[in-house]
Amino acid sequence: MSTKIGTDPSTNSRGHATEQTIAAEHLAKTYGDRAALDGVTFAVPRGRIVGLVGRNGSGKTTLLRALQGLAAPTAGRATLFGVDGLALGEAELARLGVVHQESRFIPWMTGRAHLDFTRSFYPRWDAAREQRLVDAFELDLTQRTGTMSPGAVQKLAIVTAVCHRPEAILLDEPAASLDPPSREALYSTLFELLREDEPAIMISSHQLDDIERSVDWILCLEKGRVVRDEALDSLQERYARWRVLPTSDAPALPTEFREGWIRSAVIEPRGALLVVEGADDAREAFEARHSVTVDAQPLRLSEMFKVWTNGGAR
Amino acid sequence: MLITLERNSGVPVFRQICEQIRFQVAAGVLRAGTEIPSTRDLGERLGINPMTVSKAYALLEQEGVLERRPGLALMVRGAANGRAASAHREKQDELAQRELERLLRPAAIAARQLGVPAKDAIELFKRVLRAPGDEA
Repeated sequence: MSTKIGTDPSTNSRGHATEQTIAAEHLAKTYGDRAALDGVTFAVPRGRIVGLVGRNGSGKTTLLRALQGLAAPTAGRATLFGVDGLALGEAELARLGVVHQESRFIPWMTGRAHLDFTRSFYPRWDAAREQRLVDAFELDLTQRTGTMSPGAVQKLAIVTAVCHRPEAILLDEPAASLDPPSREALYSTLFELLREDEPAIMISSHQLDDIERSVDWILCLEKGRVVRDEALDSLQERYARWRVLPTSDAPALPTEFREGWIRSAVIEPRGALLVVEGADDAREAFEARHSVTVDAQPLRLSEMFKVWTNGGAR
Repeated sequence: MLITLERNSGVPVFRQICEQIRFQVAAGVLRAGTEIPSTRDLGERLGINPMTVSKAYALLEQEGVLERRPGLALMVRGAANGRAASAHREKQDELAQRELERLLRPAAIAARQLGVPAKDAIELFKRVLRAPGDEA
């Protein structure tokens, strides 16, 4: 029995070879002289759920569009199942599920009619899953989509995107118009899909608390570049918030700390709050050097995000 | 098996699972030979990726808290009687001390930051031990 911790990079839990299901290689996309994506490289194997995070205009939607072949790369590649977005054929599209930021349905058709229309294209349509999701979302399929609330439309879009048992799922801000119980239902649906079909899932969102609760990997874009591509676990283990107080024999704190692993700092004479990265082993030496005591606390994703998107903000 | 997760605590979920299983083994809630739910079942119950559960189980197996016997479900290591049973009790004691130490560490840091001398802190701990439910 292997005692190795973590995920074996060559196979996933069911021994699927980790084909790079969702991937990009040196992907660049420029609009005029504005670079929307600049040298983006990553790979998502099946069984992983990735949170795509970044500020407005960081390139998240452009990336998701390039993967589907809706935006032509200026350079590099964006691939699904190893096939470039622009070359995706029926075979690959049948294995893909997509939820767009804003879903459009034909307004005079009912939810039921839309689902029946969609399923007619997919021999693998899972009617039991459809029923489970419609129940979980409390979706009224007799309503015409034109009269549905934005939340209901979004729910319909999610059901439409996952009942053909896709192996790759892209979701662009799927939860923006959902209330908290529906967001819960969305994320538990994604976990159910992970257990049943083990797809690769990429979900973009600004709701970092939801993302933190739900994903196991973080891909963070800032100004079109990848600033973080890492397991959430490992980020949580490396980052910490330190509450730093001077020891009783030390009159005050230094006015600045120069340690390279400090990512942000608020310093007052009698106490400081630091965000540190990978500093566990340096703590004792830090305490001795500055005559301080350190209380280390876990750091939430929303706080890490500030560090990544302000260029370190020191 | 009772596991509850704090999903926005900043503590990795696999660590939370490990800590709670260790605690329950140390406290005798999970006895030697108890079968542990499959990664799929626990993943479903907690609403998390089964791979996260695998990661926790792998770590506990490596620590000798859990054991996988060929053809059987993952279970709490040790046996109900014989030499394995006394080894299990030793393991339980070791785990109990380790868990308590982990839980005391934040209190120790607070004592230092508050400037409470070690002697007084120990007296306080003794008092709390005698009546853990009483507010000061």
